[in-house]
Amino acid sequence: MNSRRILQVGGWLAGLSALACVSATADEPKPTPENTIHVQLAAPVPPQKFAKPPKFFISDVIDRSGNPQPMLVLRDRGGVFLDRQPTQITREAIEQSLKAADLLAADAPTADLVLQIYVFHFGLAQGSGLDFFGKVEFSVMVKNLKTEESQQIQAAGTSIANAALRKKNIQKNVQANIEGALEDAVRNLVRGTQLREAVASLLKDKPSTPAAVPSGDMAFVHGEGDSNRRSESRSEKR
Amino acid sequence: MRIFTTVLLATLVVAPRVGAKDPEGIYKTAEAKHFTRVEGVELSPAFTDYLYAELRNELTKIKFFVQVIGEGEAVEDADAANSVVIEGVITEYKKGNRAADAIIGFGAGARSLKLDVNLTRRSDHQNLGAIKIHVRVSPKWKEEVMAKAAAHDIAHEVKKGLKDKAKG
Repeated sequence: MNSRRILQVGGWLAGLSALACVSATADEPKPTPENTIHVQLAAPVPPQKFAKPPKFFISDVIDRSGNPQPMLVLRDRGGVFLDRQPTQITREAIEQSLKAADLLAADAPTADLVLQIYVFHFGLAQGSGLDFFGKVEFSVMVKNLKTEESQQIQAAGTSIANAALRKKNIQKNVQANIEGALEDAVRNLVRGTQLREAVASLLKDKPSTPAAVPSGDMAFVHGEGDSNRRSESRSEKR
Repeated sequence: MRIFTTVLLATLVVAPRVGAKDPEGIYKTAEAKHFTRVEGVELSPAFTDYLYAELRNELTKIKFFVQVIGEGEAVEDADAANSVVIEGVITEYKKGNRAADAIIGFGAGARSLKLDVNLTRRSDHQNLGAIKIHVRVSPKWKEEVMAKAAAHDIAHEVKKGLKDKAKG
């Protein structure tokens, strides 16, 4: 009698869990042409000026976000997907900006410095709920292949866009938001004092910083000495 | 007479707006830095990132600076004298009491956040002012809503402070 009741309850539980699984699978958004967005820089970001411009080459772009679905940027309302991997979008954005300023080498042997990029965050982050909070965060290992010296720098970009109710507007805002954050992150990298310091220290025999800044060129004002903090390896922190 | 009245009315409408226009373009760039926090402030690590993003967003909205740049970005030499750096410290955070908020209300049990903000000129690191911000929100709201309110207050206080400084 007892074992029959236990079997009955067990059967009910198994049935309920199967139902839950089916409904969960049905809720899982799938990428379709309608819910897929194309993220790219609207225009290349002009990098800072170097007295002797070095040539960069991007060797690898590695995803370190730990996100099992990096292309899914928003789960609600049928989901919003990226059309390419975040690593590919990041690579294209940085290459586009470097190429526009003629700072991109064709391959690693012809480059002065090789960049290895680790993407830590790409897409939306937790916001107030009243808006979309876009965040792109990566660190870059700048390496001089001749001396085998390297230095790590970080770049981050943020963007906040209004939330929307209609699905079409949600997609539009999410796209604009991620593009804004990506542009901000690329600007933070190519116009950052960290890159300038890394280039200066890795190309000591080939000085890249101007002794006297001619008018119209960039002046590099040091921050509050936080470069040490920022050059800490992100993976170590985690 | 009719034309005169129209012109007079148009002048009355337009003139105050022109006079009250903000002195845009005095400061070329503003660099907001991630706020630090004193020991004992228990906020999630993502809070600082969100506050930084919101602060940049609000600084852009007030239209007082030509450009709001990210942390650690270079500025043209010519613009450095007209550029400000905004740094701050989160000095106190009280997470509030939901029960007190629900039963008593009128601000009892509210979440509270205190920040000290410093404004410095980029070129010579001259102090342009110090601002104290105190934000109180309902404990029902998320931390990020509090960051939004704090960023809004900071941006407006920065604008007010720099405008007062410009007037002398």
